[in-house]
Amino acid sequence: MEKIEFCPLVQKKELTSKAFIDMTLNKLRQKEVKKLNAIWIEATGCSGNIISLLNANEPDLVYLLREMITLKYNNSIMANEGENAFNIFLDTLNTDFILIVDGAVSIKSNGQYTIVANYNGKRITAMSAIKMAGEKAKYILAVGTCASYGGISAAKPNQSECISLEKFLGKDVIKLPGCPCHPDWLIGTIAHILVKGKPELDSEGRPIMFYGITIHDNCPRRSYFDSGIFAKKLGETTCMFKLGCRGPVTRTDCPTRKWNEYVNWPVGNNTPCIGCAQAYFPDGMEPFVRY
Amino acid sequence: MSTITINPITRISGFLEIGVKIENNKVIDAKCNGLLYRGFEKMLQGRDPLDAIYFTERICGICSTAHSMASSLALENALKVNPEENDRMLRDFIHGCEFIQNHLRHFYLYTISDYATGPQLEPFYNNHSDFRLPKALNDRISNNFIEAIKYSRLAHTSLGALGGKAPHNHGAFVGGVTVNLDSYKLIKVKSIIKEIKSFVENHMLEDVYTISEYYKDYFNMGKGYGNLLSYGVYDKYSDASLTYVKPGIYLMGHLYEFNPSKITESIYNSWYIESKNNEGEYEAEPNVEKEGAYSFVKAPRYEGYAMEVGPLARMILSNNYPYRISAMDRTIARVLETKKVLGIMEQLLDRVTLKEASQKQYEIPNESYGAGLTDTTRGALSHMIHIKNKKINRYNIITPSVWNCSPTDNAGVKGVIEEALIGTEIQDIKNPIEVGRIVRSFDPCISCATM
Repeated sequence: MEKIEFCPLVQKKELTSKAFIDMTLNKLRQKEVKKLNAIWIEATGCSGNIISLLNANEPDLVYLLREMITLKYNNSIMANEGENAFNIFLDTLNTDFILIVDGAVSIKSNGQYTIVANYNGKRITAMSAIKMAGEKAKYILAVGTCASYGGISAAKPNQSECISLEKFLGKDVIKLPGCPCHPDWLIGTIAHILVKGKPELDSEGRPIMFYGITIHDNCPRRSYFDSGIFAKKLGETTCMFKLGCRGPVTRTDCPTRKWNEYVNWPVGNNTPCIGCAQAYFPDGMEPFVRY
Repeated sequence: MSTITINPITRISGFLEIGVKIENNKVIDAKCNGLLYRGFEKMLQGRDPLDAIYFTERICGICSTAHSMASSLALENALKVNPEENDRMLRDFIHGCEFIQNHLRHFYLYTISDYATGPQLEPFYNNHSDFRLPKALNDRISNNFIEAIKYSRLAHTSLGALGGKAPHNHGAFVGGVTVNLDSYKLIKVKSIIKEIKSFVENHMLEDVYTISEYYKDYFNMGKGYGNLLSYGVYDKYSDASLTYVKPGIYLMGHLYEFNPSKITESIYNSWYIESKNNEGEYEAEPNVEKEGAYSFVKAPRYEGYAMEVGPLARMILSNNYPYRISAMDRTIARVLETKKVLGIMEQLLDRVTLKEASQKQYEIPNESYGAGLTDTTRGALSHMIHIKNKKINRYNIITPSVWNCSPTDNAGVKGVIEEALIGTEIQDIKNPIEVGRIVRSFDPCISCATM
C-alpha cells in the first residue's frame, strides 16, 4: 500500500502534533533527546505570535518551557531587561539553539525602523540580531505570516521595507505562517525537531503536517459550496465563498483544529477566511469582505 | 551626572528604550524612545473601508480587539449604522475578554517579576537585590504566576468562542457581531468568566495587596502630571450595572467634560517630517535622520497638556478609586478594574438573548467621515476614517500608549512616562530597577504607540 504515503489526509492523521509530543516526551524521559535552547526574536510585527503561544493548551506554555525548550530570550516574557537581557542573548549564541523569529525584517535605513536592544551604548537593530543568531542557529523557524512572507508589516506601500526572514537570511527556514501562528503548529514543529529533526516541508518550507491541505478541502461548510448555497452576508451559516472567503487557496488545518482550545474558527464564526496564512496576505487577499 | 539607558524594556509589547539622566541618585531627565515603525495609517489608504477592522487589529498582538472595536465604531459612524442592543452587548462582552486577557497577563507575566522572583523556570525567573517578600508569600505569588497563564488563556478562549479566534478576532464587526448566540455558547463563556472571576477575587486581589504592603514606597513614586483622560467605555447603557466610565477629563485639579476638538498632535521630537501629498494635504512621513528626534511615537496633547490614560484614570474618573496617583496605584487599579469589568461582563451575559446576529450587506458611501472613540485596556483609543470614492482616503489612529509614551512636544512639555520618571530616587545606579517598575505600571504597548 505504498500509495498511502502520498495521501495527505492519511499522513496528517498519522502525524498529529499530539502523537509527536507524546513521542518527544518519552524520549526526553529516556534521555534520548535533550531540551534545546531557544532564542525568540520579535522583529517588525505586532508581537502577536508569542501571545498566541500563551494560548496553547495541552501542551501549554509551561509544559513547552519545562519539558521541550529552554527559552533564553524573548522581549515580551523574559524577566531580565536591558543589557542583562541582551547578554543572555549573546551567551546563547554559543550553544545549540533554535532561532524563532516573529515579525518581518525591516531593512530600511539599515534596520533603524526596529531596534531591539542597546548594548554598550550601541543600538542593536532587529536586522542585526537576526543576522547574528541566524548564522549560528541549529534550526530557524519563521513564526507567523510576517516572518514567513513579510505579511502585514510588508503591506503596501511598505515604508519600513519589510522582507521575509528567508529572503533576509538568504537560506531556507521552516515557515509557520498564520496571523497569528496557531500554538499547536509551533509546538508540534518543535516536537518534531527534538525527536526526528526537521519535519517534512512543502515547496514553500511549511510543515506538511499542518499546512498540507486547503481550508476549503476540509471545510465543514463544503457541502453548501458543492450545492451552490452561498451566504449573502456575515453571520449566515452557509458557504462564505461569495463574500470573499480565501479558504480555497489557504493551506492550514483551521477547520479541523480550530482555535483557542479548539472552540471556534473564523468560518465557524460566520465570517470568511481572509487567507492570513498565505504568501500574499494582506495585499493579495483583499477585500477581506466582499459586498 | 550619569546617564542610564535601558533597552530592551522587556515584559511589554514592542520595543521601548528608556534613557534617564541621574544626579545625586535622582532622575533629573528622562527620554521615552519608541523604536518600531510599520506605517499602518499609510497602509490603510486606498483599501476597502470594511477591511479596516481586520487590518488594524494587526497593529497589536496583545490588544488587537481594541482596534476591532474602535474601527467598527468609526465605520458605523461613517456608514450610519446603529447596532441592535443585543449585538452591542455581545461585542462589549468580546471587548471585555480582551481587558481580562491583558490585565491578567500584564499583572502576572509582566509586572510580578519586578516584585517577586517568579517561578523557577526560564525565562520567567528573576533575581535582583530588591526582592522584599518573605519566602512563603513570594512562593505563593510565583505559583499564581503559573496559574494565571491558564486564566489569561481562558479569557482568549472566551473571546474566541464568540469572536472566531484570538488574537485577531473575526467576530467584532460593523453592526455588532457575527456570532449567532446559542445556549451552548452562552453557557460556555458564562462558565469561563465565573472561573476567571474566582481566580481574580481569591488570588489576584490578594497578590496585588501583598505586593503593595512590601513596596509601600511605590505609592510615592512615578506620579507624573496627574492629568487624566478617558473616552469612556461601557457607557452607552441606561442600566447602571452595565455602566463603568463616561468620557471625562481631570486637569490641574478639576473635572471637565471631554471635548475631542482640544486634542492636538506634535511631531517635533518624533521621527517624522510633514510633507504634502498629491491632494495638498499634510502627512507625517517617517524620517530617522531628523535632527533632535528620538522616537517613532508622536506627542498628542489635550489643550496642550500631556494626559495619562489607562485603568487608574478610568477608576478615578468613575469614582471607583480615590485620586491617588503612583506606580503602585496604577497596578492596584488595574487589578481592581479586572474585577469591575468581569462584573459587567456577567451582567451583559445575563441580559443577552439567544438570537441571530443582525448583520446586513453594508453600502459604502461615496464620501463620508467617521470617528470611533472608546477606552480600551490601556486607555483612550481613537480611529478616524475618511472615505472617498468608496475607499479609505485617510485613516488616523491615536492609541492609549501614544498618550502615555509620547516624547517631549514642541512646547517642551514632557511625555507622561518621562514626567513620571523625573524625581525618582535610584538606590543602585548599576541596577536601576525603579525605572522598569514605574514604566511597566503604565503597561506600555509600543506596537500600538508606533504603529
